[in-house]
Amino acid sequence: MGDIEKIAASVASLQESFEAHNYICSDQIATAVFLAYQLRKPILIEGPPGVGKTELAKTAAEMFALPLIRLQCYEGLDESKAIYEWKYGKQLLYTQVLKEALDEVLQGAKGFTESVKRLHEFGDIFFSEEFLEPRPLLKALKEENGCVLLIDEIDKADNEFESLLLEILSDYQVSIPEIGTIKAIAEPPMVFLTSNNTREISDALKRRCLHLYIPFPDSDIEQRIVAARIPEVPPELRRQLVEFIHELRTLDLKKQPAISETIDWARTLVLLHAEALDPKLVTDTLNVILKFQEDIENVTTEVNSITARITK
Amino acid sequence: MTMDRTISNFIRALRNADVRVSTAETLDALGAVELVGYRDKAYLKRSLATVLPKTVDEKDTFDACFDQFFDFQDVRGEHSDSDLKGDESEEQDGEDGESGDGEGGGSSGEEPKGKKKKSKSKAKKNNLYEEEEEADLGPGEITDPKSALGQLLMSNDRVELSMAMAAAGEATNVREIKIFTQKGLYSRRIMDAMGLADLNREIGDLRTSAQVPARRLGQQLKARRDFLREQTRDYVEKQFLLNADVTGKRLREELLRKIKLSNVEHRNFRLIQEIVYKMAKKLSALHSRRKKIFKRGALNVPRTLRHNMSYDGAIFDLHWKSVKVDRPKVFAICDVSGSVANYARFMLMFLYSLDEVMPKVRSFAFSSDLAEVTELFNRNKIEDAIAKTLRDYGGGSTDYGQALLDFKKNCLDDVDNRTTIIILGDARNNHGEAHAEVLKEIYDRSKRVIWLNPEAKLAWNTGDSEMRKYGAYSHQVEECNSLMHLERVVGNLLKQIA
Repeated sequence: MGDIEKIAASVASLQESFEAHNYICSDQIATAVFLAYQLRKPILIEGPPGVGKTELAKTAAEMFALPLIRLQCYEGLDESKAIYEWKYGKQLLYTQVLKEALDEVLQGAKGFTESVKRLHEFGDIFFSEEFLEPRPLLKALKEENGCVLLIDEIDKADNEFESLLLEILSDYQVSIPEIGTIKAIAEPPMVFLTSNNTREISDALKRRCLHLYIPFPDSDIEQRIVAARIPEVPPELRRQLVEFIHELRTLDLKKQPAISETIDWARTLVLLHAEALDPKLVTDTLNVILKFQEDIENVTTEVNSITARITK
Repeated sequence: MTMDRTISNFIRALRNADVRVSTAETLDALGAVELVGYRDKAYLKRSLATVLPKTVDEKDTFDACFDQFFDFQDVRGEHSDSDLKGDESEEQDGEDGESGDGEGGGSSGEEPKGKKKKSKSKAKKNNLYEEEEEADLGPGEITDPKSALGQLLMSNDRVELSMAMAAAGEATNVREIKIFTQKGLYSRRIMDAMGLADLNREIGDLRTSAQVPARRLGQQLKARRDFLREQTRDYVEKQFLLNADVTGKRLREELLRKIKLSNVEHRNFRLIQEIVYKMAKKLSALHSRRKKIFKRGALNVPRTLRHNMSYDGAIFDLHWKSVKVDRPKVFAICDVSGSVANYARFMLMFLYSLDEVMPKVRSFAFSSDLAEVTELFNRNKIEDAIAKTLRDYGGGSTDYGQALLDFKKNCLDDVDNRTTIIILGDARNNHGEAHAEVLKEIYDRSKRVIWLNPEAKLAWNTGDSEMRKYGAYSHQVEECNSLMHLERVVGNLLKQIA
């Protein structure tokens, strides 16, 4: 616990620590994580795909040495998959097993009213925590030393699901009608939500979160990212390939290359023992960074001029 | 306390600039400020940027607002500090140059210094405000100022000073500033509230004082007073930008919602478009929820029983009949002749902005002959499609009869009891054949016929208007000539088709 506090004591120490875990982050990102920790608030992360939104949560978990609990959102996700579910099978099995025992319990009971009364004495055994199957959200609350909870691609889930999240996000608790309210045991989880912005997230949810927008990084940071991830890339090639990607991002493409593509490309170039970019090499490996044939065709015509611009 | 005031003022400015900030977020911001402090401006900005704005657009607005607001409002950042230092050192330089008594000797050679002196003294002659004794006072001992404002100015504490100014601004209600001619007035009032009168008196006294240190103070105070005046003007300027300008925009939006669409000037089209999108978004949000509720239907008994057989017949796993709602259809028939073109423009814009919640819309345009423009809208951006429609089909003299006949010929077969038909037009048929019987046919087959007439109700049925005939065969007849009307009509429409 002391470790976490030390790491999250200032923006600078956070940034350093992230870097030690091969995650190069901008001041803005580090500030957001710092505030999230200090204010005990969830962070909603938005940004184009592939800028390291999910990675941020994963790295944070690794850095703080906390377990990562991940909830992948999709259409139709509901409380039985996200928060909790009753163990129907176990309940059923127990009722079968206990059928015999029932006679003993009811022995000597006179009349229906008394029988029911006796049964009531057993309370709601079948709806106790024994029979509760915790799903990611509940699991995160029950984690004793705290954890990192990643709610990935929240925009893919339905509107209603957001409302389900509100309680856990603002008070770190879940209400289960049969049992009552379950609160976070010790340390509330650090919550990261990511969204690709395929739809607008509701105001109620946004209000409860800090908001972090991660854009494509500037060339400097991206070079450092590549250096951290694939140290084998020679510095000159690194500069060239990052700048090439930056040029591509200014073009009108169907899907712009993200950081993950930059890294893949760097890896590819290392495998090919490249020292510098040249038009042929670029053309041959374009399919690593561009995922649509249309984009590849458009860019192929430009490869010569872009390569010339950045290698000079 | 004053810190809190600064933040709440900033949030007010943000709200003015259309960034939604809730009370909870205000509290978060205060928490963040407590952690981060005001010293490092960039850090403060980054921190508040995660707490207050919650969309990318809002972040842009936030950036602009922050820069504007904290530029002077709270000169806690380095920017203004260094500004002041720069000013001071310049001042010092100037004095050194003028006095030329070797005090500032050092690195600069004799000759350039002489030159400097010359040009300075020349400049001095032209400057009415410079006074003789200015030159004679070298740096050195000075007395302490007596007036509160004087002490504040001499203390060099930018934070205190700016907070005093903010407090004075508050006291004079500078936030109420509405028009730019009030700027001078408010600057004056703020300076007064900060204690300008006392300061002026003190400066006057000091200047005539016999002692050099006192005169030196007088000089310093005067320079700082001028600086303060400038800062105050900046402050008021900023308040004006933050408060008045946006209210202006809001006022304009409010007006545009109510104004008759035919009177909208071309330069306001962009703004109207924004409003339309905003309204459409609001409606979408409202109705997309309604749609979802229908997702879960009644219990599917056979399926449930079959699936629970393995549980010994105990019913645990429930299966539902999902109700599949047939997508209703909306046909929009728009008169795009000169008189009604503008209304058609905005209605189409509205309908197509709602594509998230609106069922498939087919649209038709006519002035005399009717043509389907659905494809046009599917292929192009809304604005382009509208422009093309108006260019290609607008401009003729209206013939409702012909248009109805065309509609009957082309797509009456597609009209069924799930179809809603919206007709937008003034029903002015140029005394042609009305062919109301065609409308009756459509009326009988469709779920609803809604006639939207941009004319005021009083004008209906006057002259060549055939509203009475057509109105008889419409389920609903509405006057519709402003964005507000449009919003209401479309809202109702969504309610009925959901």
